[in-house]
Amino acid sequence: MKVRVLATAVLVLAAASTAARAADPRYPDWPCTQAKVPEISLAAVWAGPALGDAETKWRDDAKVSALVSKLAARKTPLDEAEKSVKEFLTGSAADKATNAKLLFAGLFDTLNAQRSQVMLGLERVSRKQRDAADKIREETLQLQALQGATPRDEAKVEALSNELIWKTRIFEDRHKVVRFVCEVPTSIDQRLFALGRVIQQEME
Amino acid sequence: MSSSDHRDNAALPPPPAGEGWGEGVSTSDTPQEERALSRIASDDAIRPPPQAGEVKTARGQTLRKLVTALPVAITLAAAPAHAFIAYVSNEKSNTVSVIDTDSWTVTKTIKVGQRPRGIDFTRDGKFVMVAVGDDDTIQVIDAKTQAVVDSLPSGPDPELFAQDAAGKVLYVANENDNTVTVIDLEKRARLGDIQVGVEPEGMTISPDGKTLINTSETTNMAHFIDTSSRQIVANVLVDARPRFAEFKHDSSEVWVSSEIGGTVSVIDPNKHEVIGKVTFEIPGLRKEAIQPVGIGMTKDDKTAFVALGPANRIAVVDVASRKVTKYLLVGQRVWHMAFTPDEKYLLSTNGVSNDVSVIDVAAQKVIKTIQVGELPWGITIAP
Repeated sequence: MKVRVLATAVLVLAAASTAARAADPRYPDWPCTQAKVPEISLAAVWAGPALGDAETKWRDDAKVSALVSKLAARKTPLDEAEKSVKEFLTGSAADKATNAKLLFAGLFDTLNAQRSQVMLGLERVSRKQRDAADKIREETLQLQALQGATPRDEAKVEALSNELIWKTRIFEDRHKVVRFVCEVPTSIDQRLFALGRVIQQEME
Repeated sequence: MSSSDHRDNAALPPPPAGEGWGEGVSTSDTPQEERALSRIASDDAIRPPPQAGEVKTARGQTLRKLVTALPVAITLAAAPAHAFIAYVSNEKSNTVSVIDTDSWTVTKTIKVGQRPRGIDFTRDGKFVMVAVGDDDTIQVIDAKTQAVVDSLPSGPDPELFAQDAAGKVLYVANENDNTVTVIDLEKRARLGDIQVGVEPEGMTISPDGKTLINTSETTNMAHFIDTSSRQIVANVLVDARPRFAEFKHDSSEVWVSSEIGGTVSVIDPNKHEVIGKVTFEIPGLRKEAIQPVGIGMTKDDKTAFVALGPANRIAVVDVASRKVTKYLLVGQRVWHMAFTPDEKYLLSTNGVSNDVSVIDVAAQKVIKTIQVGELPWGITIAP
């Protein structure tokens, strides 16, 4: 048991130091391998006409707001989302252009906001993880001291061992979840780009 | 390290409630669903018109038409064909897509090992080598049968590799053990290892075969290695997270891209000094989104193309002045590129939109988008 605790603690330290190797000095808390892009720039996803006042007006249009919520939800499959875009963008070329701009402005705002929230969450958890790693490191040293002491307090050693095992498990679980969540900003980028492409095709 | 780390996602539990991830994270979003979401039909309407005098030998019909149109058979024999075959590694779907540059379609998808990234044809055009990092090897695909026939003994987690001009020696960057493995391509045997910096990544060899350049992601250095002594002869500091290195064909400069630094450093390979930098600025785009990775230079050393990752653009750079002349909008997270041997077209892999963009080099225009597998990473075209 004690040997295992120490072995795990060493593993944890290795994992923590990997996480601490933040390659980008601008974002020391960013835990993902993909270099951080704090927000999506319009120019990266939209090659259509300037959005103009659509950037603010989309919220006032109830129909557009409702459609934005539906399309932004990732539980809506993309082919279904595409169909909804095509159904929505009908009428004269001028109507189409106005509605297309409103719709994309809404999607851009909404998905960008979702993405920022996820990224903030990732950095928050990354900070928590660093604190947890420090704590585990500290308690591992305490445990080593207790184990080496004479006379040895078995009850204390046992209690601290159990606590370390528990903390290590939480740390490792979180570490895995972080890697999973690191994919989410990318999948939001992907969705926004794909929907933008459909909207632009419909405008042509 | 690379564009992404997907290795154990499939086995991961959904994020527990109360972790404070924000509302964008839904437990129903599995990687499987994301895959289904990312497909968009490619636009076949923008096919380039056939070039004058070409012979599409793979298409009987085209050939017949030309024969009727041109009674002199010698003209046909002299005219160059332009159908080439491109191989694209798809990092996430563990496949290689084969693209025919005549029809601009995917003609075959080959199942390969885990996490394919670096990919290159052997010089004789008979085989395609693909580094499958999670299987710790380089697989060899027979270009005729389009099937995996062998593997090469790399170190752990091979990412990118470079071969000498003769196609006899292969140098492999192993991301996980800070070494470059040297492989005899004829015997398909390991010749030795070279210790380099932490997380070796970009690899290129000088046109004379005497110098190997390897970039280290963590120490932000380009290592210059003497291929005969296999020793590092110089380390040149560049901007953060160097990803790729490319020699000018006349050997006078080496260009090294820095993903986080957002620049390309121009190095004098004799003095081992940075003598200039290419910088990028795209109106309306955040600086962080400009992440230079792949570099391609035309044979006349006049024009360079630099892939800018999540800027979704390729910069066209005038090599002499080191200034960007144009930005081409391609797909999402553009990563690596390859020219067709006639240099008429440049193909780029777009990792997030899961497609390949085709650029008309002379016109500097994107003419076509081809859907491939998931997370397309590397690309190579038959010589």
